[in-house]
Amino acid sequence: MTHSLHRSGNIECQKKDFIWFMYQTKSVNDKDIKPKAVQFIAVAEAQGSPNWGDVKTGPRTRFSCGEIIEKITDKSRIRGVFTSKEQVIGFLKDIKRLDLGQSVIITGVLTEVLPACQEVGVKIHSINYALGIWGKKENLPDEETLSITTMCGHHMIPPKFVQHMVSQVEKGKITAEDASRQMSDLCYCGIFNQVRCAKIVKEMAGKK
Amino acid sequence: MASIVSNLCTGCKLCQKYCSVDAIGFDEATKKCVIDPIRCTECYVCIRQKVCPKDAIVPPALDSFLKQFQHVLSDPMENHGVTGVTGRGTEEVKTNDVTGRVKRGQVGICIDMGRPGMGVFLRDAEKVAMACAAAGVELQGEEHTPLGALMPDLKTGKLQDDCLDYHLLSVIVEGVTTEANLPNVLKALDKVQHTIDTVFSLGLILRTNDAGYTEALDCLEELGINYPYRGKVNVGLGKPLCDE
Repeated sequence: MTHSLHRSGNIECQKKDFIWFMYQTKSVNDKDIKPKAVQFIAVAEAQGSPNWGDVKTGPRTRFSCGEIIEKITDKSRIRGVFTSKEQVIGFLKDIKRLDLGQSVIITGVLTEVLPACQEVGVKIHSINYALGIWGKKENLPDEETLSITTMCGHHMIPPKFVQHMVSQVEKGKITAEDASRQMSDLCYCGIFNQVRCAKIVKEMAGKK
Repeated sequence: MASIVSNLCTGCKLCQKYCSVDAIGFDEATKKCVIDPIRCTECYVCIRQKVCPKDAIVPPALDSFLKQFQHVLSDPMENHGVTGVTGRGTEEVKTNDVTGRVKRGQVGICIDMGRPGMGVFLRDAEKVAMACAAAGVELQGEEHTPLGALMPDLKTGKLQDDCLDYHLLSVIVEGVTTEANLPNVLKALDKVQHTIDTVFSLGLILRTNDAGYTEALDCLEELGINYPYRGKVNVGLGKPLCDE
């Protein structure tokens, strides 16, 4: 899955948007992962990861920490978001020290992610580079809507729902934070950055 | 396909806001919402979120391999049978430090068909897969990526005929080529992008030096392609480490 790679929108805004993953490899290190997953979660929480989750249960914005941890199995995928390079550095330092043996991935703007890796002293193995969108781009939604919907790479957040949420904010019925939380709840992986989303929603609502 | 029980539907249109591919329409004659059976991808967003106040939306009977394939590939909560991975079932760069699927000198081609958010008919995925194969990409089999299960001949990228009209939220065309052949592949993708009725997001997986640099992308400037500013970085902490 490359659901964290192809985010769009203002690049400066994307610089405050990182995704972290713990990943087990089938038939190699995919047994009894729960204790390791719990350590990953503890490290991410200590760094202030605002959202994380397991696709088999849902995101932290919707379920309690205990609920998600209780349902972790060897099929789980644990991942979440950070909003600063400093959080990424702190996370990688602790995960490197714990030496859990699971694959670790950080997705984001490379001018932010690579220096963070360098500071921690991890040796980058490989990178999946985003080469953009190709094909019938004229049928895509507007860029601001896209910058929100692409935060759930599986596209569980429909453009019409984004427009509905922005409209509710514009009418004063809900706050931008409430709207972002509702959108985040649709993204089961837990990689939706509701902090970044709230800023975008405020800008969209302010234009109307 | 998922369907709406007509006598339960009040025509409130709330469900339309939750459809990921705009497949829910409104019948002016009956004043009821209806699901377009061609466009629905069985992603289950509308069902999982219980968006209908009258519970009028019901899931389909997934009574064939292709219907199950469509649903599993469109719903990230499902596991793909062969790879065991959720969603579209491919590990791509995420475990490359352990699997070594993409080695030095190679380029992993990772084409997210239908993303962002437009969905993809498999006939369009076939066009792109065939263009890749013709340009020298070694397409991945079903043990690595779900689409391989529908591809009887990995050397051509042709899909089985009975799957071509299925609409999925997304599916990955995945393969490997050499760094030297990357310009040919990019030229082929540039050509085929004008023949499809959807979009794709392109990812290139590469081994890098310890600082995250590779010369393989130097060809982009000559091809008029912007240098990528986003990446999914595998920081090499998986064990046992594969350093090929």
